[in-house]
Amino acid sequence: MRIWRTFSAIVYKEFITVFRDRTTLFFLFVPPLIQIIAFGFALDNDVKHMRTVIYDEDRSEDSRAFVQALVSTNTFRVIGEVRSQQELASTLRAGRAIVGVQIPPDYSRRLRAGRNAQIQVLIDGSNSTPALQALNTAMGIAFRKSLTTLMREARRDTLPLEVRPQVLYNPSLRSPNFFVPGVIGMALQIATVFSTALALVRERERGTLEQLLISPISRWGLMLGKIVPYLVIALVMAAALYAIMVGIFDVPIVGDLMGLAVATFVYIFALLSLGLLVSTMAENHMQAFQMTMVLMLPSIFFSGFIFPRDTMPIVFYAISTVLPATYFIELVRAIVLRGAALTEYGHNLMILGILGAFLFVACALRFRRTLG
Amino acid sequence: MTSSDYVIECDGLTRRFGNFVAVDNVTFRVPRASVFGLLGPNGSGKSTLIRMLCGVLRPSAGTARIAGFDVVRQTESIQGIIGYMSQQFSLYDELTVHENLTFFARLHGLSRQRGAQRREELMERLGLAPFRERLAKRLSGGWRQRLAMACALIHEPQVLFLDEPTAGIDPVARRELWDILFDLAGRGVTLFVTTHYMDEAERCSQVAYIYHSKLIAVGDPDDLKRLPEVTPRGTHRLDVTCEHVMRGLRVVRQLDGVLSATVFGQSMHLLVRDGFDTSKLQQKLAEVGILDIDVRPIAPSLEDVFVELTRVRWQDKTPAGVK
Repeated sequence: MRIWRTFSAIVYKEFITVFRDRTTLFFLFVPPLIQIIAFGFALDNDVKHMRTVIYDEDRSEDSRAFVQALVSTNTFRVIGEVRSQQELASTLRAGRAIVGVQIPPDYSRRLRAGRNAQIQVLIDGSNSTPALQALNTAMGIAFRKSLTTLMREARRDTLPLEVRPQVLYNPSLRSPNFFVPGVIGMALQIATVFSTALALVRERERGTLEQLLISPISRWGLMLGKIVPYLVIALVMAAALYAIMVGIFDVPIVGDLMGLAVATFVYIFALLSLGLLVSTMAENHMQAFQMTMVLMLPSIFFSGFIFPRDTMPIVFYAISTVLPATYFIELVRAIVLRGAALTEYGHNLMILGILGAFLFVACALRFRRTLG
Repeated sequence: MTSSDYVIECDGLTRRFGNFVAVDNVTFRVPRASVFGLLGPNGSGKSTLIRMLCGVLRPSAGTARIAGFDVVRQTESIQGIIGYMSQQFSLYDELTVHENLTFFARLHGLSRQRGAQRREELMERLGLAPFRERLAKRLSGGWRQRLAMACALIHEPQVLFLDEPTAGIDPVARRELWDILFDLAGRGVTLFVTTHYMDEAERCSQVAYIYHSKLIAVGDPDDLKRLPEVTPRGTHRLDVTCEHVMRGLRVVRQLDGVLSATVFGQSMHLLVRDGFDTSKLQQKLAEVGILDIDVRPIAPSLEDVFVELTRVRWQDKTPAGVK
């Protein structure tokens, strides 16, 4: 009874406040939308069309065929030719090109004579990911060319050994499929944790908390009343984010929507509880902001959002196990990309649920102490 | 009076914050339907005392009861029968006048019908009706205070605590607030008001004075004025109105037979021995160029009472020259 009337009074007030306070609403909705668009496009480690310069001393049909082979992989994009070794080096140093290809004058002659023909590929290694891809692609082209030549000489039409890889769930290995679910996790986290982190702090600063404490309230009712309005808003936002994921980033939801909805609900509940916990600890706005930032940074690095958790040092892995974002990102990838069934993702959902319940109970218990 | 006639009873109430004693061994009782004024300078412990009486702050020692309920062990029971209006008139700024009232009505579990009825009644009585759709943040000080009061009254509390209700509001609003308070007392509500305005204290049916965390005096204002410590036997009080009060004060203090002298606006209040010769006073003042003076006997004001009692009880010694 007491819990219900506290709950209904707080929900009544919070809804009015949220919708009347345009700035809060703006900061609740706009940043996540910008984040998903910006991050979704920016976080793309498919390396394509790397700026490449050619120093072709051979100027033969064969040398042009090799350059053509590079370009047709889509990894390289020829932006020009240079006339000397020095010019080639300086173009790379200046960062105008990432890859430089030097074809010596005797390339064609040696190739046709069946002797070891060499091509030098210079790669700017200061950004390791594209460098690695450029390296592999260039080597691959050389290998394939060598193999064709050798097979012709050996009069064979099959390779002695061949691997037939099959990439499941994201066959074209598109980056958005990997990143966008994680970005949704992050975007939801920032909006929700901040909104409840300020919830009690605001009341404390304005003196209304004292008024509440003097009234016959239930702390469970108060906590739930603070969470529910933001839960509703965050669910609407999550739906919008999923729509953007499917519509703009072309990442189809393979698994069941119901499972996704439940996972999102549990995740948001955990985050709102976390924010509320911050709220019971912070004395003012500033502290609430700082605590929230401190809590949020680890989840950007350790939740598996960008870096795979399996390769993390044990300490970071341990941190990742207490982050709601870790489980949510696992869940979204499982449901959206792999179409996993409840029995296959259920354990993550359960852990996330326990985490949320634990945080919520912690809030209510901590809140009693402030009555002191 | 039987003990049930006392709505607030506290006994040895003490609160420490670390080494600092904010409220030190305070004991008093407040009769039902009285207007109880608690006076004291800033930081003397008034708000701490109120917070303990409302059950928000735990006492370090001592007990307090509201309508017979212990504030520590029966907090939930007292929450339904007290109302509280804080110094800063805490309201929800984003809510309108009637929404603020609706919120507090729901919080106290009033039925929808009863809540609406109380809301309209209070808006009418406190003159808030024309502002019903106005956001709380757009109200001026006096109206904020009224709305805060309406919110504190929504559940018909038996006891209403008001922490500096008139701080920072204009004189007209102040007077109107006191009219409302007396109206409430007439309806049987007990009012516990902190203030540092002496004129407000004079209106209270009971006053208490707290100084440096200690309760210096408590009682009916008229009884307090008659206390022997305030006007000891063989002495009486004089009001001396003249020009250059500060210059005059220095002279007067050195006169034989003057026990204390304090400035009150354009005059000084003197406590003198019976048989004090006023012609000597006139003569001495004339020597420093103060000629036009008016001397008349007066009864002590509450301010005199508090000044005197603070000296007597805080410094724990009798005024000089009195046996």
